[in-house]
Amino acid sequence: MLEKGHVKEIIKSPYLLLVPALLFYLIFWFVPVATSLYESFTTISGKVGLNNFILVLQDSLFLDAFVNTLIFALLSLLLQFALALGIAVLVNQNFKGSKLFLFVILIPMALPPSAIGILWNTGLVESGWINSFLATSGIQNVLEALGILKGPTLWKAVSGLEAVMTLIIIDTWTVMPSVMIIILAGLQNFNEEYKEAAQIFGATKWQAFRDVVIPIIKPSIVTALLLRLISGLQVWLIGVMLFGFNNVPFLVERIVYYTDKVRTATNSYKMANAYSIFTLGHVFTVAFLFLRVTKDKKEGAK
Amino acid sequence: MSYLKLENVKKVYNNKVTAVDNFNLEIEKGEFIAFLGPSGCGKTTTLRMIAGLESVTHGDITLEGKSIVGLTPRERGISMIFQSYAVWPHMTVYENVAYALKLRKLKKADIDEVVQDVAKTTDIVQYLNRYPSQLSGGQRQRVAVARAIAVKPKLFLMDEPLSNLDAKLRVSMRTDLKRIHQNVKSTSIFVTHDQSEALSLADRIVVMNHGVIEQIGTANEIYHESETMFIAKFIGSPASNFFVVNVILEDGEVYLVHDDFKVQFNGQEKDVLIKNYLDKSVVLSIRPENFTVNKGGFIKAKAKIIEPQGSHIIINTDIGGEEIKIVSDLLELESGENILLGFNDKVLLFDSETEKRIK
Amino acid sequence: MENILKKTILYLVIVFISLSVLIPLSYLVTISFSSQIEVNDYPKKMLPSLYHNIAIKWDAENQNYIVMRENNEGIFKELYISSKYDKIRDYMKTQLNIDMTTERIEKDFNVAKDTGEIVEYKYYKSFFNNYIKFFTVFSGAEKALINSIKAALITILISMSIGGAVGYALARTSIKKKEAIRIGSLIVRMFPMVSISVPMAVLLVRYGLFDSMLGLAIVYSIPNIGLTAAITRSIFIGVSKEYEEASLVFGATEAQTFRKITFPLVLPAFAASSMYAFITAWNDTAVSLLLTNKNETLALLIYKSIGGASSIHYAASGAIVLILPALVFTFLLKNYITQMWG
Repeated sequence: MLEKGHVKEIIKSPYLLLVPALLFYLIFWFVPVATSLYESFTTISGKVGLNNFILVLQDSLFLDAFVNTLIFALLSLLLQFALALGIAVLVNQNFKGSKLFLFVILIPMALPPSAIGILWNTGLVESGWINSFLATSGIQNVLEALGILKGPTLWKAVSGLEAVMTLIIIDTWTVMPSVMIIILAGLQNFNEEYKEAAQIFGATKWQAFRDVVIPIIKPSIVTALLLRLISGLQVWLIGVMLFGFNNVPFLVERIVYYTDKVRTATNSYKMANAYSIFTLGHVFTVAFLFLRVTKDKKEGAK
Repeated sequence: MSYLKLENVKKVYNNKVTAVDNFNLEIEKGEFIAFLGPSGCGKTTTLRMIAGLESVTHGDITLEGKSIVGLTPRERGISMIFQSYAVWPHMTVYENVAYALKLRKLKKADIDEVVQDVAKTTDIVQYLNRYPSQLSGGQRQRVAVARAIAVKPKLFLMDEPLSNLDAKLRVSMRTDLKRIHQNVKSTSIFVTHDQSEALSLADRIVVMNHGVIEQIGTANEIYHESETMFIAKFIGSPASNFFVVNVILEDGEVYLVHDDFKVQFNGQEKDVLIKNYLDKSVVLSIRPENFTVNKGGFIKAKAKIIEPQGSHIIINTDIGGEEIKIVSDLLELESGENILLGFNDKVLLFDSETEKRIK
Repeated sequence: MENILKKTILYLVIVFISLSVLIPLSYLVTISFSSQIEVNDYPKKMLPSLYHNIAIKWDAENQNYIVMRENNEGIFKELYISSKYDKIRDYMKTQLNIDMTTERIEKDFNVAKDTGEIVEYKYYKSFFNNYIKFFTVFSGAEKALINSIKAALITILISMSIGGAVGYALARTSIKKKEAIRIGSLIVRMFPMVSISVPMAVLLVRYGLFDSMLGLAIVYSIPNIGLTAAITRSIFIGVSKEYEEASLVFGATEAQTFRKITFPLVLPAFAASSMYAFITAWNDTAVSLLLTNKNETLALLIYKSIGGASSIHYAASGAIVLILPALVFTFLLKNYITQMWG
């Protein structure tokens, strides 16, 4: 009887529920990550060292990729956050039609990346819809009269910083709603009486917003910021879809570029792995920050 | 001239729903007023209009003779305790109390003095450096009170401040609020749906229902001279009992006739009854404690259920199909016994159409 | 007065923001319904047209029909010259999305020939022509669609079974290290799959899963298992144990309790996490780019079609096909979005 009960206990152990997940992550996540780490520190001949990172530093596009990634991540973060906060506050006022407005602005968030690629490619080409819109709406004429533009703009002919800016704007169009909705959730959970109390006790609307609303919804704001930071640092697809490989290099774009070239070039394998260390580094940093913030949030809610 | 005056105040939401209508009230300096009524009666809306958190659709509110309609909350010189206390979670207790003073650009030393002073009054000195999340509900409540009295407001508003506390704490906070009010002598308005809070705290009570004032008066006036059937029903626990009776005149005497009893009426309303209500039906309202049991009565009934309360009992019976509750000190009475009921002269009569008291 | 001004400004801002979302989308939809000729129009129209205004002139000298079309500025421009009705028919079909029989063309065009005057007709486009064309012109589009659905379904299956178990364990059992599990799943979710795609490819080749939908689904499940666990956990916590205990007290067996009480209550969470899994798989381009060879998904096919300028209207219809399910599911999930990183 005792034996049987013991067996039954093992079968019923709650830890068994975790076994499939652990196995899955061991095989399909831990092994590739460890391999990637190992490969990045060994040469093709098997020698351990920092050779691959030297290769990366010698990559003619490394510096561009590094700078572009940084600019993109920080500027898009700023722009998206400012817009998202403004729009979240707007939607939260529950004006007539705010539900419909929310529905409309959430649409870009739902679009698959390759559809976004098609959408903006059809826009950026010379006879594309962006120039069409400028022409039919008369904005083109105004800008030409002001001397800002001369004839249809060649959006795709830009490079360097201008291309990064174009990508920032397009990225903002796409992901601003996902930042906004996190902040909005924070605002909707916010007890209005906190704000009213501040106003009663002598704060102006702006003071109440700055001293009470923002600090109280801070966890939502930081969550949104960190999530955007991480996806900003991982940008590549939109750049490749609009400008192709190598033209607007980003760090993750380098990984994909070298991964895709594995079949033809010998060093690519090592290059891709060495670039991957960068993602490892930033993911752990941001995850660490994120956990600290969400921990505060939990303690605050006690 | 009265300190705070509300004249014909009206609030309409979205051009459709009238939340408050025809609200007239004058409050003297230092008075403690309670707005009492069931949920949705407009009491909180009225308070928020005084606070400036809701706009006034129509009418005027004057404080110290000056209209405050159109002023922002911060310009009104008031303070408020919220139902959720709204003690800011990201500030320490000290910062919570000091925030309003900082906004008033007081010197650091002065702020400190005021904070320490009100902390003593409200008994929160030992919590000043804690965050609200580290405090119990009752302690947060005290912080809210401290914050509110620190600014020396012209008007002290409270929106159901005790409703989130458990029953025992509620009673002791009630006493504290009364004590603080007596110390500070601030003019206060207190919104509640709990009649015992209103009756025990307020100098005068404003009873509201469906957005209009039913009666303004002291606890005694409201209880014993209820102006409307609504108040007789709403105030008192158990509530008043009602009988529909016919008024007839026999041999120059007025009688109230019910299926189960017929009683001669000699109250002061007698002349009005003769003048306006002969051969008509009126509503007779009798408070549970105004019945006499087995002391020479004229209504035969049966004690169906007895609810002992320690000091007294509540007898449930029925007269002519109506559920009647009676408070009695016959502690030995058992359910099923036949009883003989009468009532004293503290009865009220209501017009069965308008539901207003006949007087 | 001040109020009215404020309101006006508010609504102007709202209209401006809404338009900046809707105008690009409107153009994309228009392009997806455009004929080849309209694709080359400049400036392009913002809203789709239902028909073309066609004018026909008989050139007696060269014995030819001249086919003209009214462009966006209302001017008739010469498009095509031919005397052969079937050639005209093919031209109208491929370039103008107008599907007509040769007999009808002969009858209509003869009017111009007989009268010697320019004759105008309003011909309706066959509206979904591009959508049909997308699946015929793009080789493998149909297969790619099936692949996408397949990958999505397998992803749902894997993440639900593995993640649902973890979610249940987190919510209802007293296992330790719950915090460690949460942190682990968070780091995994933040980790971009492309950065480990090289060793992943090697791994998949070793198990014979490279270029297969099962292989893709496994990679998609990596972030999704954690997410499913988080969502199902919150729901299992939300469904009070007392509901189940009440059912047991009233005489139901444990199996009946699960079937009649627990399962219906947690169903919405499972539906939500299934939709998440679906969207992950359906929307992905990066992973399938790196881990497939011949077996494309629909999103990858669209990605690859970006370069081809001549068939951009077909690619646009493909993009719309890709967008619709993603859009529907995202909106069904709106209320769960904020839970994702809780």
